[in-house]
Amino acid sequence: MSKKHLIAAALVALPMAAAAQNAYVVGVSAAMTGPVAGTYAPVVDAMKAYLEHLNAKGGVNGKPVRLVVLDDQAQPSRAAANAKQLVSQERVLMLLNTSLSSTYAPMVAEAKAAGIPLYFAGAVCPKDTFPPADPLQFCSTAFGANLDSQAALAFVKAQTSEPVRIGFAAMAIPVSRGEIDYAEGLSKTLGMTPVEKQITPPPTPDYTPFATKLKDANPNWMYSWAPWVSQVRTFEAMRRLGWAGRYITWAHLNAEEELARVRDSGFFVIGTNAFLEDNLPVHAEMRAVAHRAGLSHPVSYLTEGYVAGMVLESALRNTSWPPTSQKLLAAMNSLKVDLKGLRGGPLEWTKENHFRTRQYYRVWRWDTSANRVARVQDWRPIDVQR
Amino acid sequence: MSAPRASGYLRTRYAQDYALLETRTQKACALAFAVLLAAYPFLAGPLALDLANQVLLGSIGAVALMLLTGYAGQISLGHAGLLAAGAFTGGILFKELGAPFWITLPAAALVGAGLGIAFGLPSLRLRGLYLAVSTLALHFIVIHAGAEYETRRGFSTGIVIDPPKIGDWVLRDARAWYFVLLAFALANLLFALNLLRSRTGRAWRAVHGREAVAEALGISVRRAKLAAFVVSSAITAIAGCLFAYYRGFVSAEAFSLYLTIQYVAMIIIGGMGSLLGAVLGTAFVTVFPYAIEALMRVGGLAERLSSIVFAVNYAAFGLVMLLFLVFEPQGLVGIWRRIQEWFLLWPFKQRPLSK
Amino acid sequence: MQLFVNIAVLASIYALICCGYVLIYRVSRVLSLAHGELMMLAAYGLYATASLFSQHPLLAVAVAAGLALAVGAAVYAALMWRMTGESVLAAVLATIALGILLRGLMVLAFGTQTQYPLRDLGWANASFAVGSARISGVGAALVLGTALVYGGLFAFLRGTRWGLRMRAAGQNPLLAAQRGVRLHGIYALAWALATFTGGMAGMLIACDAGLEGTLVTIGLKAFPAALVGGLDSLLGALIGSLIVAGAEVLLIHYVDPLLSDVVPFLVLLAMLVLRPWGLFGSREELDRV
Repeated sequence: MSKKHLIAAALVALPMAAAAQNAYVVGVSAAMTGPVAGTYAPVVDAMKAYLEHLNAKGGVNGKPVRLVVLDDQAQPSRAAANAKQLVSQERVLMLLNTSLSSTYAPMVAEAKAAGIPLYFAGAVCPKDTFPPADPLQFCSTAFGANLDSQAALAFVKAQTSEPVRIGFAAMAIPVSRGEIDYAEGLSKTLGMTPVEKQITPPPTPDYTPFATKLKDANPNWMYSWAPWVSQVRTFEAMRRLGWAGRYITWAHLNAEEELARVRDSGFFVIGTNAFLEDNLPVHAEMRAVAHRAGLSHPVSYLTEGYVAGMVLESALRNTSWPPTSQKLLAAMNSLKVDLKGLRGGPLEWTKENHFRTRQYYRVWRWDTSANRVARVQDWRPIDVQR
Repeated sequence: MSAPRASGYLRTRYAQDYALLETRTQKACALAFAVLLAAYPFLAGPLALDLANQVLLGSIGAVALMLLTGYAGQISLGHAGLLAAGAFTGGILFKELGAPFWITLPAAALVGAGLGIAFGLPSLRLRGLYLAVSTLALHFIVIHAGAEYETRRGFSTGIVIDPPKIGDWVLRDARAWYFVLLAFALANLLFALNLLRSRTGRAWRAVHGREAVAEALGISVRRAKLAAFVVSSAITAIAGCLFAYYRGFVSAEAFSLYLTIQYVAMIIIGGMGSLLGAVLGTAFVTVFPYAIEALMRVGGLAERLSSIVFAVNYAAFGLVMLLFLVFEPQGLVGIWRRIQEWFLLWPFKQRPLSK
Repeated sequence: MQLFVNIAVLASIYALICCGYVLIYRVSRVLSLAHGELMMLAAYGLYATASLFSQHPLLAVAVAAGLALAVGAAVYAALMWRMTGESVLAAVLATIALGILLRGLMVLAFGTQTQYPLRDLGWANASFAVGSARISGVGAALVLGTALVYGGLFAFLRGTRWGLRMRAAGQNPLLAAQRGVRLHGIYALAWALATFTGGMAGMLIACDAGLEGTLVTIGLKAFPAALVGGLDSLLGALIGSLIVAGAEVLLIHYVDPLLSDVVPFLVLLAMLVLRPWGLFGSREELDRV
């Protein structure tokens, strides 16, 4: 039997496998344009730049990695069409989602029908990636539901000696609302007094009406877990109304840049990605890669996509040539990625846990006397179990 | 129904007045086209097949909108809301009661008809822009209700629906979907074609032309307007329900205002007041973004800086819509007719002044 | 007290945006659904001039305002004059298409990142006390700007020759044209003014909240206010904005913030059923559409 026949037989036996192509092919559906593109496009661009850099060094197992990126404008029906196209036409090894949570359902359906892994990078981790995990869904995004609130409220408790009166701000999208409801319940068990909760609709011309109500409740701490606009606008509106308390919120891609813009020592951000301020060796590499790819985003925006690139690289490295989705799945089910300091420790996936076994949190704020971003709390691990 | 052919084809029996296909050439063309349609899924690749399915699905909604706007002259910006209503009816019935498709589809049609009355009531008092805006308000309310259902029941990323089943056979394969959607689209087209030749259809056109005259002719303007809304909405809701089954999910975000704009663009680009236009417009609007992308890939631009490709795509869609509005208000049908005329009249350029 | 200030600021935002819808509709019977995009374009204009004339913030603002006027006139000259006399739907659709085109071009030209024109101008958005309440600098600028714009427009429409021509063109274009009013000039002026006022709203919102994609949606959110007041009445736009803003702020404060999203549209729907021409719109208007 000749080699040709063997390949033909393989094609018949594994119609979904990408054996016919001479590269590891990964399909991405991302919100590259549209109103939320600012949050997602930098992740995909950084990942792309990382993989180009990787290909220039010789690729993975001697083969290049090809990333097929399709735009879904954060619209579910576009995501559905994209997933169909990626699976049936591009024959991708795995699907990658970097978009709003409303695009998940169609992509999950498509991944399930084709039996290939679906990896969320830079998009909110769905519940199914936490233990016990869905066999096909994986996630490396920095933020994680419930864990973030646990870490943030623990920090608030450690920082405050007087009784905590805490206020909450969310955006009227299901993920954010759910997390803030959770945090409200958690705050009670930690002995804090939740005083007010406000939910702002996504396009809000003026945050003052919401901030007025929060300020009137007179909290000494505020916690917000939402898209960046909602978090920082609520804070700014409250400050303008004369509120003097402290505010802790999630460190999105642009957090480092924004801390330097807001310049308020009562404004804390909590996150799991290192800042450029840390000046790690990997940051120099990131700068070089971004420069070569001609990316227009600030380098601090690229961490999340860079992490996704590293995860992708090591998952593919453990998938021997010719690759199949089954081999890749097996590799992803026991993965340990050294992130070179971009996070507090390695990212580890197991069969039950497709989120990560341990999550590390840091807290920063603007130091007004030194005039720079300062670390308030170093890596603090939380074990992920459920 | 159309003007006599240039060949000098004369109708000799009343039955011929009712025939949709008159001459032998027309019949032959229709047959050839039918063969082509039947063979398509076996020739096309997966992406082309999915595109064809999208076009078929879209054409159902576009024809419904054409009936309402192109023929009855009632402007509606609530089309996405109606599609959502159909999809949510299907989704909710499936989730709450586990209802099969032969219950959800008629239920969607009923809900659509009911909403059609709600959307249509303002039309009794309002015209033109104000009507468009009132349908827009209804759109927001339907979408809000759908989103609230999702949040309250904990389906925050959308409702996942199983594919339709008949006995043990599951409708999942793209080719099978193609034939199902083709059947729906053709049935819908035939229905619309015949409806327009009936009393109702003629009444709609009269109302579109001038309401006062229609009233004087003994047409109940109110009933005609409401009928237009009800028929169009019911068809649209069925299309929405089919959409939910085809994509396997329902989510409020899938029915944004942009979807309405796309549907309106379909009938404008296709050509107002023509069913053929609705179908051509659907094909154009659906395939256009993919065509631009393919074009840019050929140009070798796509590999660098992906975000730019997508912005170009977006801008190009706006530009093409503008060009059609300014330079070809008759739409694709206008171009098609001109080509037809050119062949029919050759070697002359103009129709004779007297017919 | 704070509630009143909040209502005043939100109403100013809506009123400043609505003003553009009303001006264009009143004069040329076209509903401009590209208003949100034009607002955003003007805000990007400010962003561009702010980095260009970083030493002279006032000059930058003046140039940006001039640009907004020019863009409005250019939109009419390049596109909308071709749509005069076309059907209502075609003209509205043309503005939608223009909006899509502009949005794509803006992403191409400026990227998707949030920009802060106020910081680039070298100013800060401090707040100060008004009685027992506080108002931000930009908020005060919004209220003041709205007052100036509306005052100016009333004076312009009532008191000047061009204002008279503009009103005439709106009431009966045919007669006006026959009396020697140059319709294209008037229409272009209306578009320029509308883009200027909308652009002003866009610039101020961008100064307050940063410049990013959601600005377009805010443009659409102001739309119910214009309709509640009546699409062809400036006074109506002002009152309508107050009603919608008032309803929104009070709902946020006393009932449920989640409702603030749909309520403007519910108010609008009730209005359309009871009094379709709006609070101050002209009634015969409707039959002519």
